[in-house]
Amino acid sequence: MRPLRVLIATLGLDQHEVGAVAVARQLRDAGMEVIYLGRFQLPPAIVKAAVDEAVDVIGLSCHSWEYLYYLDELMALLRARGLAIPVVLGGSVLTAADARALEAKGVAAAFGPTSAVEDIPATIERLARAR
Amino acid sequence: MTERQSYSGIPLKPVYTPADVAGLDYAARLNDPGAYPYTRGRRPATQEAGGWIQHELSGEGTPLRSNAQFRYLIAHGATGVDVIGDTPTMAWLDPDHPAAVHAVGTQGVSLCRFEDYRELYDGLPLDRITVSHSLPAPFAIAGLYLSAKARGVDPKGLRGSAIQVPFYCEDCGYATHMPFALRLRLAVDSIEFATRTMPKFHAFLEDTYYISDGGLDAVEEMALGFVEIRYIVRELTRRGVPVDSFAPRIAILVNCRMDLFEEIAKIRATRRLFARMLREEFGAQDPRSLAVNVTSHTSGLTLTAQQPVNNVVRGAVQALALALAGVQAIEISAFDEAFRTPSPEAHLIALRTQQTIQLETNVTGVADPLGGAYYVEALTDEMERRIAEMVATIEGMGDPAALCDGSWFRALFQNAMERYARQIREGQLLKVGVNAHRMSDEQDTLLREMAERKFEPCRERVAELRDHRRARDRQAAEDALYRMRRVTETKTDSLMPALVAALEAGATMGEITGVMRAGYGHPYDPFGMTESPV
Repeated sequence: MRPLRVLIATLGLDQHEVGAVAVARQLRDAGMEVIYLGRFQLPPAIVKAAVDEAVDVIGLSCHSWEYLYYLDELMALLRARGLAIPVVLGGSVLTAADARALEAKGVAAAFGPTSAVEDIPATIERLARAR
Repeated sequence: MTERQSYSGIPLKPVYTPADVAGLDYAARLNDPGAYPYTRGRRPATQEAGGWIQHELSGEGTPLRSNAQFRYLIAHGATGVDVIGDTPTMAWLDPDHPAAVHAVGTQGVSLCRFEDYRELYDGLPLDRITVSHSLPAPFAIAGLYLSAKARGVDPKGLRGSAIQVPFYCEDCGYATHMPFALRLRLAVDSIEFATRTMPKFHAFLEDTYYISDGGLDAVEEMALGFVEIRYIVRELTRRGVPVDSFAPRIAILVNCRMDLFEEIAKIRATRRLFARMLREEFGAQDPRSLAVNVTSHTSGLTLTAQQPVNNVVRGAVQALALALAGVQAIEISAFDEAFRTPSPEAHLIALRTQQTIQLETNVTGVADPLGGAYYVEALTDEMERRIAEMVATIEGMGDPAALCDGSWFRALFQNAMERYARQIREGQLLKVGVNAHRMSDEQDTLLREMAERKFEPCRERVAELRDHRRARDRQAAEDALYRMRRVTETKTDSLMPALVAALEAGATMGEITGVMRAGYGHPYDPFGMTESPV
């Protein structure tokens, strides 16, 4: 079985990188291949990289409210191309109410600041295997 | 028994005794406040005691909305303002850039034109308060300078500061997409310009706060700060600027985490190290060049989304540490920092915390009240030794600029971020509400609703900028940008006169920065989405 491939990106001009780097390393330590796209990413580039790299899951780091506006564009691009890649969000600004709203938009999982970070690799694994 | 240690890993004894300070030479290592090597404070005890500049980091939405924040804080007793830009502004981009529109004004103020700075400072008593800037320094300096002149305030009387971040900005959250040589040149040019035109203004504010709040420890924070300070000082002196002309206006903006005594020791060690470096290595003679001004911001990283009310307590403990260390200015990270830029309520609590410490605890009655304590002096010595050693190690690896371009620092930051996350995950670092004394989300409601309030980006700025570009004297703006490009290409002439003139002519920060990038052979727009007007 090939290792799972996870894309990690940060949207727009959000410059906070602590969480994205920590999660990338955590996933790597759990045996996954991380495609770290880094900061300053917009939806078209994220979708292109997800296709080019044949990733199993897209992980977005959210430490600003920009995700509120970019997420719809990203989900629409994925749908338009018939891609059923699970999208997972994580970040300090995600509240419990936000997580519920995100699930309604088709986001597979959302990890806010009070979520248990040790659950992230297992959740990603479950989502990828369920595809 | 597990070994006790400070947050940066210094082994600690269960108790400290006279034996730990037996070799301490008072006159050489401590001395009275206001006397070399300034360990105990930069000013004589009679001036040292009594307080500090109290401000709170502000900026949200339009310049006018931020101006209202300043007025609110000043009305409640703040003695200075400190302004931070939104993410487009911190990336030196205009609000109407296609990648910026969803981020305008949500994490700071949107500033890109001369008019924006005029509105930002409108009605503020610029002759009475200090104006500190966590903003692109050349533009903050130019904006303040032009605004003061337009209002008939003599720039020579302006007080405040601007952060200079050429070394670490690309890796720590203030990425500019400019090459190192241009970032350094802008820092040095703007310091030189302000030294001449705004001599009371600290245009050389070394910001160790933002580099350390990703997870660096206190030793790493100051070592990296000194590497940057030393590099800029050498560059200024290499250009023939006398050290005593600019060194009195160097200040350091430090972080303050939760290890109370380590943070106090760090600040005392920093004053001593700075004084010795400036005198012995850089030949400074003016006592004001040796006694560094230390300003401070309490750590946002130590705050938690869980049980946000605990952050009020953290801010109070950190501010107390800073008051005991004798800093010149304090700002407390607001309790809702984990979620958003400060709400008015959070701003007020932070300011009231400072005022309570100042007015009710009597800690300001005596200068350096912890001086001579066995533990504090032993820890100050050890912090100083470790900081100096790390500076020597880094400089021993070659030109720090090459380390910067070679991502050596980036690796250091990433390891520190990962280390911090692991320490919390594995419980080596205890955080109340996170890995100790947790509560369920249902129970954890106090102040939560307030902390989670959101607001919209300032989309009206996009239309405003579009109108601005249409209404301005197009020829004047383009001529100024063309001159900016030519001056940039000389690689040596000061960028500041052309930058000030371009801002005054109606060019925007994004345009001016773009032509400077192009002058170094880099793309005008790092995102490749907009075209240069010249």
